[in-house]
Amino acid sequence: MSSPIATWSAEGQERAQQLLALYPDKRSAVMPLLYVASLEHGHVTNEGMQQVAELIGVTATQVRSVATFYTMYKHEPVGRYLVSVCTSISCHLLGGDEVLDAACGAAGVEVGGTSEDDLVTVERVECIGACGGAPAVQVNYELIEGVTDIKAIDLIDWLRNTTPEVVLADELQQLFGGQKSFDWGVPEPDGAIAPVPAFGPYGSAEEGR
Amino acid sequence: MSDTTTVSITINGVDHEVEAGQRLITAAEKVGEYIPRFCHHDKLEPVGKCRMCLVEVEGPRGKQLVPSCTMIVNDGMVVDTESEVVEKAQEGVLEFLLINHPLDCPICDKGGECPLQDQTMAYGPGESRFIEPKRTYEKPIPISDVVLLDRERCVLCDRCVRVADDIAGDPLITFNDRGNHVQILTFPNEPFSSYFSGNTVQVCPVGALTSVDYRFRARPWDLEVTPTVAAHDTVQSTAEIHTSRGKIVRVYAAENDHLNDGWLSDRDRFSFAANHAPDRIVSPKRRVDGSFEDVSWPEALNTIAERLGGIAPERVGAIGGAHNTNEEAYALGKFLREVVGTNNIDAQLGDGFNAQLAAAVTPRATVDDVESAGAILVWGPDLKETLPVLYLKVRKAVKNGATLVVASPWRTGLDSIATSVVRYRAGSGQEVLRKLAQGSAHEDAAAALTTGPVVTLFGRASLSEDPRLAESVAAYGRTLPDARLMPLLTRSNVFGALDMGLAPDLLPGRVGIEAGSAGLDAMGMLGAAAEGALDVLFLVGSDPVRDCPDPALAAKALDQADFVVAIDAFVTDSSAHADVILPAALWGEVDGTMTNLEGRVQTVSAAFPPRGQAQSLLEIVRDLAAIMGSGDILPKDTDTASSSLANEAPAYAGVSRESIFFESDGTGVVVPTGAGTQPLGYIPTDAAVPVVTDRFTLHFAPSLYDDGVITRHAESIAGLVPDVTVRISPRDASVLAVSDGASVVIDDFLTLPVTIDADVAQGSVVVPFNQVATKGLIAASAVSVEPVRGDV
Repeated sequence: MSSPIATWSAEGQERAQQLLALYPDKRSAVMPLLYVASLEHGHVTNEGMQQVAELIGVTATQVRSVATFYTMYKHEPVGRYLVSVCTSISCHLLGGDEVLDAACGAAGVEVGGTSEDDLVTVERVECIGACGGAPAVQVNYELIEGVTDIKAIDLIDWLRNTTPEVVLADELQQLFGGQKSFDWGVPEPDGAIAPVPAFGPYGSAEEGR
Repeated sequence: MSDTTTVSITINGVDHEVEAGQRLITAAEKVGEYIPRFCHHDKLEPVGKCRMCLVEVEGPRGKQLVPSCTMIVNDGMVVDTESEVVEKAQEGVLEFLLINHPLDCPICDKGGECPLQDQTMAYGPGESRFIEPKRTYEKPIPISDVVLLDRERCVLCDRCVRVADDIAGDPLITFNDRGNHVQILTFPNEPFSSYFSGNTVQVCPVGALTSVDYRFRARPWDLEVTPTVAAHDTVQSTAEIHTSRGKIVRVYAAENDHLNDGWLSDRDRFSFAANHAPDRIVSPKRRVDGSFEDVSWPEALNTIAERLGGIAPERVGAIGGAHNTNEEAYALGKFLREVVGTNNIDAQLGDGFNAQLAAAVTPRATVDDVESAGAILVWGPDLKETLPVLYLKVRKAVKNGATLVVASPWRTGLDSIATSVVRYRAGSGQEVLRKLAQGSAHEDAAAALTTGPVVTLFGRASLSEDPRLAESVAAYGRTLPDARLMPLLTRSNVFGALDMGLAPDLLPGRVGIEAGSAGLDAMGMLGAAAEGALDVLFLVGSDPVRDCPDPALAAKALDQADFVVAIDAFVTDSSAHADVILPAALWGEVDGTMTNLEGRVQTVSAAFPPRGQAQSLLEIVRDLAAIMGSGDILPKDTDTASSSLANEAPAYAGVSRESIFFESDGTGVVVPTGAGTQPLGYIPTDAAVPVVTDRFTLHFAPSLYDDGVITRHAESIAGLVPDVTVRISPRDASVLAVSDGASVVIDDFLTLPVTIDADVAQGSVVVPFNQVATKGLIAASAVSVEPVRGDV
């Protein structure tokens, strides 16, 4: 690679190495590594994709192919809290569009926009797999079910006023949720610290709590 | 009756016996049932993406639509390719493909030869139900210096992506985004810089990929197609010249499964602009008071004939002929040997090796042998940089399961797929070879060369390597299981020229001359001329000042020689020294045959007459001989030359332009065609090359795009010449205390920036050959490297 590669933080490098060790074929690590790249730069950048390509031994364009296929990889900066409102069929029938409008209004943004204080981005998403608890919303990919337009406004205000370090699904559900599709079981200890999902060693909020 | 290798299938109610194991789409096509397709391509892995080839196949649960490009034929398969359901599927696929297609066929390069256009006509619904605005993109966008992309026209067939990734090994273009926005793209600011990018234009089933050279230049129905070979390198890929209004507008690959599989390198494909370059020499020139003036052909030839009269034959010599057809080379050889009377002839420029070894090594490998080899040893020039289509063949062989060993002082294009890479300090090859043969080192490499047939591709890794090492490598290769040997010379038709006797120790048809009566080789002639021992020197399409290992000697020789005749298409650093320049026809302007590196003879054809007053070499030496009173010795035209060499040149017995045309299936003929017709069978012996012990040894490495005469004159690829840097190993960099990008002085006169490269053997210095910035460097084994003062 002749192009200059941005250097990642020591923590990011270490996470990358941990991830690479999980897969017998290095290129299988492309998707989790893209989340690391996303955390390093706030969103997926060309430098980030080049770094991933170098780590897994493919070309940058092959990494970009993956990174542009999935909408959860953000290629533009987003706010600290990414609020994703579902408007697919179940949520649509139960008022998802009103929730979206309310969230946008509270944040002062158009759909897909980021508030002036860079804290909140509101986006419209396709089905996030919570039809039983529609309308559903995610904050940094942490799920809330049974959200109403009023609750959506509360949610945006709460995010603005308390700026939590970590967002936790269970906490959000308690504060802003309504009827859940079913009991998900034991409380989920990990939350998200950035607009990337919190699972495994990347995006995990363990250290952030 | 079915046996194990065939199966019975029924297509549209007709029973057929077809070869087992093949795809239904291919089997159907072979029996005359063409199934429409976009993504399917014979030379690419099936992907089943476009759905155009859906057919109905009867199964346990009734008839089902299946993609015939991924379905393998089975015994008893009952197929319907024309049912109502199939027709509806085809209409549906085409209607969908056209939702966003711009239908700009009238201004599209592909219009008239476009599978999408043709298949819409044949299988399409006639009208669309879609009235919505079409999705639009900026168009076209350049994805490299030679290829443009129009995303609106793309049908996402994946052909170009597969060519780039699977065939060329350069996965630089691929699908981006999703759904309605899927598009083929490169990474931002990383162009599709593949040596094989032009192939994507040829396989694109729509007008999405177009070449810069051809764009808006012609309509397909106006093109005249001339079958020929791509004559840039010794692979001589089978190709077609497409002309419109007397000009070459594009070069296409032809499918020759014994050779290029329908692929071409970009140099082969895009260098045709040289034929039409504005600074081509189009009339004879004579030097008068230091500058050239145009003269008539009779004046020019008379001047040469007068000068040749009364000169001792051994004081005349000729260098070149490697760019000419076999017939031209045959005529040149006859002129020099029988009219002038000298054996001072060499088609090589001191850049190759022993001519008898190159022309007549035995047992010789064919390109098919490479494809089906058990193991391959490549010890010579970087195939990707010098013989790109052979590089593709080696990739194919490795994919077929062959093990591959590459020996080189620096990284080559094949390293990434090699089973074992032997990295050696330039100048120490003989030592490495000895250890490899004895088993005292490089055990991995030796172990990878045990499954026969083992094909050894041997040649000179760089101009600075001792030419005798190639013979040592060949001798080693000969000891390997079921050994086959392939000599790697790289220049155009040099193998044909050697076969026609354009070597000091060869006569036409692979006949050796005894050592005592051999003439001087190129370096011998240049040395003799520099010392005043050679009076008349013919340069036949050769540029020794740029291409021979000792440019200073070449320049001195051309100054010292009394009379230099250049038969060339351009004024080069060498032909600029000439007393008379005769305008030569180029590839695409001459009929004849050419011989590639396996001995495959194919026909080449003129797409149009030579530019201006240019003439073929055969015509030039024939007319010159006539003026000298020996007109009856030389053949009067190509056909006469061709039939005469088929009689006179033993290895070519019975192989003429006519016989190839009528008796081969368009793939050419490998000579010798019969046992016993080749008089010389050269058995390589170990040359015991001394190891060079100097502090630094030079690896003067050629690259695909260099400052060669043709590349320089081909506008679209001239800009692809790489940046010139000196590469040294990290260890040597720290000893010399130079950092990446610092300047060093090579051989006390050439100041170049350094690139520190872990793939360079320690003690070796890699300098690109034949670039403007490396002009004048002597290709000796030893080289000096000094950091620039004040830079340390």
